[in-house]
Amino acid sequence: MKRITAYSLRAVLYFILIAPLLLFAAYAFSTRWFFPQPFPVEWTTITFLRAINDSRTLSSMAQGIWIAILVSVLSLMLALPAARVQGLREFRGRQLAWLLLFLPTIIPPLAIGMGLNILFLRIGLAGTIAGVVLAHIIPTLPYTIFTLSSAFARFDENYEFQALALGASPWQIFLKVTLRMMTPSLVVATLFAFLISWSQYLLTLLIGGGQIITLPILLFSAASGGNPSTIATLSLLFVAPPVMVIAFTARSLSQHDNEIREQY
Amino acid sequence: MKRIAFLLVVLTMLLSACAPSVATPAQPAATNPPVATDAPLVAGEFDINNWDIVLAAAKGQTVNWYIWGGSDSINAFVDNFYGKALKERYGITLNRVPIADTADAVNQVLSEKQAGKEIGAVDMIWINGENFFTLKQASLLYPDWAQKLPNSKYVNWGNPAINLDFGHPVDSMESPWSSAQFQFVYDSARIKADELPHSYADLKTWACAHPGRFTYIAPGPGGFLGTRFVKGALYEISGGAEQWQKFDQAAWDKWSPELWKYLNELKPCLWRNGETYAKDEAELKNLFANNEVDFSMTNDITGAGTGIAAGLLPATSRAFVFDKYMIGDFNYVAIPLNAPNKAAALVLANLLLEPEFQAAQILPENGFGLGYAIDVTLVTDSAALSALQSASTKLGDSATPASDLAKSLVGDTAAEYQNLVEQDWVTNVLQAK
Repeated sequence: MKRITAYSLRAVLYFILIAPLLLFAAYAFSTRWFFPQPFPVEWTTITFLRAINDSRTLSSMAQGIWIAILVSVLSLMLALPAARVQGLREFRGRQLAWLLLFLPTIIPPLAIGMGLNILFLRIGLAGTIAGVVLAHIIPTLPYTIFTLSSAFARFDENYEFQALALGASPWQIFLKVTLRMMTPSLVVATLFAFLISWSQYLLTLLIGGGQIITLPILLFSAASGGNPSTIATLSLLFVAPPVMVIAFTARSLSQHDNEIREQY
Repeated sequence: MKRIAFLLVVLTMLLSACAPSVATPAQPAATNPPVATDAPLVAGEFDINNWDIVLAAAKGQTVNWYIWGGSDSINAFVDNFYGKALKERYGITLNRVPIADTADAVNQVLSEKQAGKEIGAVDMIWINGENFFTLKQASLLYPDWAQKLPNSKYVNWGNPAINLDFGHPVDSMESPWSSAQFQFVYDSARIKADELPHSYADLKTWACAHPGRFTYIAPGPGGFLGTRFVKGALYEISGGAEQWQKFDQAAWDKWSPELWKYLNELKPCLWRNGETYAKDEAELKNLFANNEVDFSMTNDITGAGTGIAAGLLPATSRAFVFDKYMIGDFNYVAIPLNAPNKAAALVLANLLLEPEFQAAQILPENGFGLGYAIDVTLVTDSAALSALQSASTKLGDSATPASDLAKSLVGDTAAEYQNLVEQDWVTNVLQAK
């Protein structure tokens, strides 16, 4: 009985996850699908192939992925020390520091973006990948810091002291003890950073000024035109990398989970 | 400490690795032949009166054209026709920058101005009406070029519909690309042609005889077809289009209550009792295609043709107009004052007026669907002339007959009415009890 419940729960979850994708696929590969037809009557690959063969679609995806990777790396590098201090230390002004670090989630991105755009135009960062990457770090940082700091709150520094006592260099300690123990949280934080950067529309548009084209820019522009086939095609391309990244990290996460369990 | 230094090094490396990939293309001095003018030309400068020099300066440039990107078929038309021709004939690369709203490009130029940026990102914008007016007022447009293009000889600059954009003088700061006229779309499989309304008064009778089967687009930014629909009603109610070409607050105060009265009488007969409206052309098209309402609206000279070809409308869709007051206008391209590649933008603006491309842009299968910007009677080359004339006979059943369009054509109002119509509609119709 318990098993049946588990299986049906699983089936419902899968359905919730997969149904929207199926609907996207039905729209992407059909045309003139009007009410009251329950299913598409004219199937076609023209829209999909046109999007795939458009060099702009592919270059926008490549650019978006490249930006998301850079953002993830930079965001982790900035978040790791901040999260360590916030997670492990008690000090005056810690709450204030939390507030400052979380401010970007409260302030609307439009306000940040407009101001940043003027600043970046002055210093020559507007319209460049570097500028867009820096801008994307703003909304990603709170999530990476929060994920890592909660892991650091459970982190036992004595492992590092032990390695030190056994003669490990600071680098060895960092690579073989700290990073290894933090791996699951690092993966989750990277995932957050990647997804947030990948789906940024407003900041990319404002800072990129049309020079930096990522998939969300094409998607919003297509959505304003209302052609369901094109929107569905671009949406499928849009969800593909995140789904792959999640599938990949879920695997590595569950493996690490086992390793950690073995340690204790 | 060491770790911080390491981090800094890595950071710098990463940032420099992704340094500006889209640097402003420098205009190579080598491609600029020496010219005998009074003022010696600096590298990258050109003299617009000497077209050969413009072409030479444009060679190798990339023109960043900010253009509404919502229509696949228009995007493909721009890439396949202009993009290819620019590359093959002039050695210019077209970078089509798709934007969701022309105001995004205007804001970009305004921000650059605020930041004091001498060299911007935008080379050309597809523009008209308030967006043009905004940039013109801020003196952010490259002046005095449109009438100097070689192909400007095909443009009838004496026509007030061309030399005035929403009532504001164009002043050679933008060059026309195409023309458009407001029309309705119906499905000939659902409604017979002789049942169609012929005026706004007729429309109200029809709508109330078929409750819930008509709606219009909410006037406002993005809903310019809806604004146009409401302005047409204003013309009919006030009995003429002429008086609205110049802004007159008294006329507005006199006639607008009548306009709101008409629209509020129409309201209970509308789709969802007029509690909500289609927000843009795409949504109305969608409602129409999915048989929720019986009429859509379009600006295309091809009528329903482009929508049918793109798979957005049923194949039996047809366009029609009322007997009077169908607003038509021209749309343009403008070059910002701080455009980095002005020469290439000029070449592109000129290419848009080339008769062969004008003939191509009205054919439904090419996906653009808007009308001529040039005056066919000014074209002297007989091959080009026959191409233009034969193209206009190939619009098919889904387009409104040219004679109907011409008979009902009126100009748009002065630009000042745009905001008045859009804002007052919200308070007087949308929010009215």
